[in-house]
Amino acid sequence: MPALGLQTYIWNNNIRSAILLVGFPILLLGMVFFLTLGMIWAGMLPPGAYYGGDVAEALSLMWSAAPLAIAVAVVWFVIAYFFNQAIIDFATGSQPLTREAEPRAYNLLENLCISRGMTMPTLRVIETDEMNAFASGLHEGRFSVTVTRGILEAMSDDELEAVLGHELSHIINRDVRTMVIASIFAGIITLMCQIIYRSIMWGSFGGMRGRRSGNVGIFMLVALVVGAIGYVLAIVIRMAISRTREYVADAGSVQLTKNPDAMIRALRRISGHAHLDAPQSMRAMFLEDDDEGVMGLFATHPPVEKRVAALMQYGGGRDVAPEPPPRSAPPPSLSPQTSEAPLSPDGQGPWGQRRDGPPGPWG
Amino acid sequence: MLALVILIAIVVLIGILFIGAYNRLVALRQNVNEAFADIDVQLKQRQDLVPNLVETVKGYAAHERGTLDEVTQARAAAANAGNIEQRAQAENALTGALGRLMAVAEAYPDLKANQNFLQLQGELSDLENKIAAARRFFNNAVGEYNASIQRFPAVLIAGMTGFASRDFFDVGPDRAALQTAPQVKFS
Repeated sequence: MPALGLQTYIWNNNIRSAILLVGFPILLLGMVFFLTLGMIWAGMLPPGAYYGGDVAEALSLMWSAAPLAIAVAVVWFVIAYFFNQAIIDFATGSQPLTREAEPRAYNLLENLCISRGMTMPTLRVIETDEMNAFASGLHEGRFSVTVTRGILEAMSDDELEAVLGHELSHIINRDVRTMVIASIFAGIITLMCQIIYRSIMWGSFGGMRGRRSGNVGIFMLVALVVGAIGYVLAIVIRMAISRTREYVADAGSVQLTKNPDAMIRALRRISGHAHLDAPQSMRAMFLEDDDEGVMGLFATHPPVEKRVAALMQYGGGRDVAPEPPPRSAPPPSLSPQTSEAPLSPDGQGPWGQRRDGPPGPWG
Repeated sequence: MLALVILIAIVVLIGILFIGAYNRLVALRQNVNEAFADIDVQLKQRQDLVPNLVETVKGYAAHERGTLDEVTQARAAAANAGNIEQRAQAENALTGALGRLMAVAEAYPDLKANQNFLQLQGELSDLENKIAAARRFFNNAVGEYNASIQRFPAVLIAGMTGFASRDFFDVGPDRAALQTAPQVKFS
């Protein structure tokens, strides 16, 4: 069904994410199937005459391996579920914000939560001039919204509200959970590929050579191809899910704030100033990630242009250039890098050198 | 036997599709209602602001009676408007009247220096921006809802269960009048 407006657009993207997520178990089973087939061709397993053909044998072996695969996935998920929170808390090094310290952001977030009747997530800040934000937490009571100091300094009220709305939408949609599931599947597939390559490298298939010499080469070839395709596809699916979730969160933010223009302005403002050092697996959670990757296939986020275009097409937004620094200007000497300050033509600050923020929490 | 199972399966499938389409329409209609409630809140805030503003201006420019009365009347009309179309018209008239009042205020330096007036002016312009944004969100939701109830499978359900198309909250023909500069009279 075509998207007619914001709500139908959100539904369509949710369906897309679900289909992509189902792609993971299918990919996993497909890899097992082709590996088994390879082993039969190579003569490492008995030929399939008894089962009615090689393919039928591989299929039946694949199904008998399925419960094992599911069990591994579940155990992995449970472990990741409990450690994810601790890892993020440790990695970000962010500080919780109180109402007194930052009344503006705190009140905006609280109002958004009241309008949706939800418990307010913890508001946290990372002390850097870069502009980014992310939502984390896997279950009620542990949700938090983290913003950088750069965002608090540079955004006007309605833009900051749009950013908080975006992160709150991630929480409402339980996107962190979706991305954890996706990264676990991708992790299992990656592990499988690594086992294949190590086995080939160390020649552990060599032992079988005595039985049916010469054919192991066929299996190694099949395993290499299957491993390579599976490895790439796993990453592509995972990133595609991440991108659909970003579109949904943009639209969700507009539904919360009723102001598509502010979301567009916020995206324009952070574009190019959103760099945070972080492992790939965490970047997917950010408000914006500039790292494009090959043809956008490996990017965690859609390009800002596409996000703006979607907001204009489905959210009725207007693309207006952000005004000069809105927040009743903190003295420039305190924040030379508040980024929206008119930069000299070569993109450098008035001090002629791009001052980097304090060492990133992941540095 | 098999035919019966297939028949039941088809009926169940159609039923599920039917329920799904109906629930989508309900959600879209609810979106429209929520969006209107949001405009309503902003418009009410603006109406509450008007008496304060009128009183403040009166203190400095009491003889601008025509403009002041116009604002007061437009506010009363907006507060009592019935359906969405009348409401939109009345609110647009109020926007126009407030614009003219602000233009008149330009002629009174004392008034422009009044702290209270400046604060009200700031609040008003903030509200106008919010109203504009909320109205576009509302119209977007109405457009989506109206288009959805006219599409094929949904149009059957919409006809049976009484989903009527909704009016836009539009600036309408007054748009031209709003965009011409208000006349400043010195009487």
